[in-house]
Amino acid sequence: MTERNDADLGDRFHALRREDAATAPRFDATLAAARARAAAPARRRARWLAVATVLVAGVALVLLVMRPDRRGRTIGLASVRWNGPTDFLLVLPGDELLRTVPNVGRMRPSILPGLPGAGFTTTDSDRRTP
Amino acid sequence: MSPEALELELARLHPAAFGWAIACCPGDRAAAEDALQASYLKILDGRARFAGRASFRTWLFAVVRNTAAELRRRAAWRRLLPLAALGDAPDGRPDAATVLARADGTRRLVAALATLPRRQREVLHLVFYQDLTITEAADVAGVSLGTARTHYERGKAALRKLLKEDRQ
Repeated sequence: MTERNDADLGDRFHALRREDAATAPRFDATLAAARARAAAPARRRARWLAVATVLVAGVALVLLVMRPDRRGRTIGLASVRWNGPTDFLLVLPGDELLRTVPNVGRMRPSILPGLPGAGFTTTDSDRRTP
Repeated sequence: MSPEALELELARLHPAAFGWAIACCPGDRAAAEDALQASYLKILDGRARFAGRASFRTWLFAVVRNTAAELRRRAAWRRLLPLAALGDAPDGRPDAATVLARADGTRRLVAALATLPRRQREVLHLVFYQDLTITEAADVAGVSLGTARTHYERGKAALRKLLKEDRQ
């Protein structure tokens, strides 16, 4: 059964081979066309080179157009704030005292919370009502 | 091998090589002719050299197969890039003239073969059309003997089934 089927397939392929052989181009024509192809690569290479050049030029142009202009740009120094890694060393306990002017005759309970009477001392300004 | 002897061998095997080229470029006669011309050029230029490790026919078929694959890849790149206008980029489909020129039985066979995986199709063609042994078919297809045998058996079963379905 299998051999008969194989023979059947073989017959079909042989029919295909006969058809192909009948329509095959002649050998010398194929060889002549092959030799003519040999002359073509220089032209084809030049064409590819031209295409590659155009592509590279296009990409370069797009990059030039889309690149931000660095020459006209200025940096706003007022908006720049740099925090050094050792900035925390400059923070002192109670440095608020160094930045404010003490008010003579007035005691601020928030600064000296441990003193006796803190929070009860009043100044004239504390007595004011809105 | 001298150039004259090469040409004589190529002329002797030309019809078989053309049939194989058509099998490598399924149904596309123009692509097959291109592949054959490029293969002959490679051989006559000395870019493909016959080392005598296999028979000349097996070696020629391997050159045609590799050249057809190269051309197919190149055509795929051309289709991918918008460069089709620069040259002919075959789309790998069978051309209508070739299909119409075939008799009914062979047209059915070609249609059934076209649905098989490439390796199976190649091995079946080499064995049934070119009358090569499975070992020689394995050499041409660049696969091991075991792999070629598997492709042969599976391909044959699938082809029989397809032809039977087509008959019903």
